[in-house]
Amino acid sequence: MIGLVRAEWVKLFTTRVWIGLLLGACALVGGLTALLTGLAGQAGGNGQQGLPPVTDQQFQQVALSQITNATVFVVILGIIGVTQEYRHRTATPTFLTTPKRWRIVLAKLIAYLIVGIPFAAVATAVNLAVLEIYARARGAAPSLDGDNLRVIAGAGTAVVIYAVIGVGVGALLRNQVGAIVAALVYLYVAEPVIAAIGPIQSAYKWLPGGALRAMTTDFGAPDVLQPWQGGLLLLGYGLLAAVLGTLFTVRRDIT
Amino acid sequence: MDEPDSSPTAQEAPIPTGTPLSPGGTPPAPVRVEVRGLTKSFGTVRAVSDLGFTVEPGAVTGFLGPNGAGKTTTLRMVLGLETPDAGTATFAGTPYAALREPVRTVGAVLETAFHPARSGRDHLRVYCRAAGLPVSRADEGLAQVGLADAGRRRAGGYSLGMRQRLALATALLGDPAVLVLDEPANGLDPEGIQWLRGFLRHLAHEQGRTVLVSSHLLAEIEQTVDRIVIVGAGRLVREGSIDELRAGADGGTSVLVRTPETARLGELLRAAGNAVTEVDGALTVSGTTAAEIGHRAFTAGIELHELHPQRSGLEEIYFQLTAGTEQFAAGAPQGGQP
Repeated sequence: MIGLVRAEWVKLFTTRVWIGLLLGACALVGGLTALLTGLAGQAGGNGQQGLPPVTDQQFQQVALSQITNATVFVVILGIIGVTQEYRHRTATPTFLTTPKRWRIVLAKLIAYLIVGIPFAAVATAVNLAVLEIYARARGAAPSLDGDNLRVIAGAGTAVVIYAVIGVGVGALLRNQVGAIVAALVYLYVAEPVIAAIGPIQSAYKWLPGGALRAMTTDFGAPDVLQPWQGGLLLLGYGLLAAVLGTLFTVRRDIT
Repeated sequence: MDEPDSSPTAQEAPIPTGTPLSPGGTPPAPVRVEVRGLTKSFGTVRAVSDLGFTVEPGAVTGFLGPNGAGKTTTLRMVLGLETPDAGTATFAGTPYAALREPVRTVGAVLETAFHPARSGRDHLRVYCRAAGLPVSRADEGLAQVGLADAGRRRAGGYSLGMRQRLALATALLGDPAVLVLDEPANGLDPEGIQWLRGFLRHLAHEQGRTVLVSSHLLAEIEQTVDRIVIVGAGRLVREGSIDELRAGADGGTSVLVRTPETARLGELLRAAGNAVTEVDGALTVSGTTAAEIGHRAFTAGIELHELHPQRSGLEEIYFQLTAGTEQFAAGAPQGGQP
């Protein structure tokens, strides 16, 4: 199994997809963190309540949870890790080399879970660096203790689990463009809509996005679970994606 | 994410001849491939029907049939990539998916597709890692198929022939006892085809490996193969050695004779019980041998200008055997023929 995991890393690091996705994650996390810091303490439009000032604990948790913007990039990373085998038809030699197909899916899950860790670490570093410089200039950088640490740990864990979810989604859908579009539509359209519409809002806390919010900060979010419940729920989604992806891969023909 | 590089490819490396496998070691133990009752339908189309044949070690076996006869589907079922509705395929008694060391038992070239951004060498490194082989096998594999100089270039820039050879190198990584190739001559230049022929015969005859090569063109593999399995419309049409096949087909052998005394010789041979037809001043005699005809002509004092045994062309036999199975290819979705 170690050989199979290493084979997945050779596959990943002999193409340049990961560089683009890592840079994208850095840009989105860094950009949104800076934007929020810039808006801190300013009144919202239309007399709405704006963001609290940088010294406020609530602001700090919102700012730190920007790390989770990396999730979309690791989802895509996981999706590509599986779907490129079908897109470039390397699935044939891959499954000829390892005819027990569950081993390939498991190797990909492990490989991308581990690759998710440095992605989460880099996203966290970018987030903290922006806050250290910009938020400190505007008042104070968040202290790295107590609930703030919990937010960082929750966000980082979520990023890693999303890599696993990406592998599962890729194994289920196989079509690279279709899987990526589906993931983007889900993350940026479906979940926000559910979170925003009153009658179905209560479902949000059971979705991966709701779990993510529970693990980080519930500021501005509808009702969500406890942090540990959210963590378990997200882990459950990761396992569900892994199991379904494995079953589909084992049962369907490799054509 | 990465599009294939469409730039013209550089000169292909010269092809080494007679490259031995199993460097420093002995060839693997012989493995017989047995296919029994394979059946597979796609929707309402029956792609493969109760197909059974045997592939023997120490010989090159041709897997022949018109496009859409179900060859590729059969090979993919044999290799565990597609699940048959019924039937089994085993390597020395074990199905592919249950092999302890698949890459050391079977190497297969089914399609020549690679990640275009990955170099040929990196492609091979992936499968060395996955199979637990030393990464040095990647360089050996490249050398074996004459790609050593192109190994570090993006596979997306490879010519069709180079892709075929990289796919072959992938199949050979584990030094397998059985080699399965689906339409390997596609994209190879005449020189490459000649090299492949010698290479496959060497693997089978000198090293006792089992080689199965599919093709829809008999002429392409006629000179390479010892045995032939012919399929049509997903069914077994004929299986046997090339000679058995020749004997089994209609026509058998005949002898062409030219002589200034056509009428006299014809009468003589008819009297001896042979079937004789006259075309363009030459006699075609069946039911006897050239030696027999020569002897009769000599004792009768008849001058001969030509005495030529004619074998019924294998191509003709193939055509006869598969006649009527082509409709399937025309009307129905094919069983994965690329």
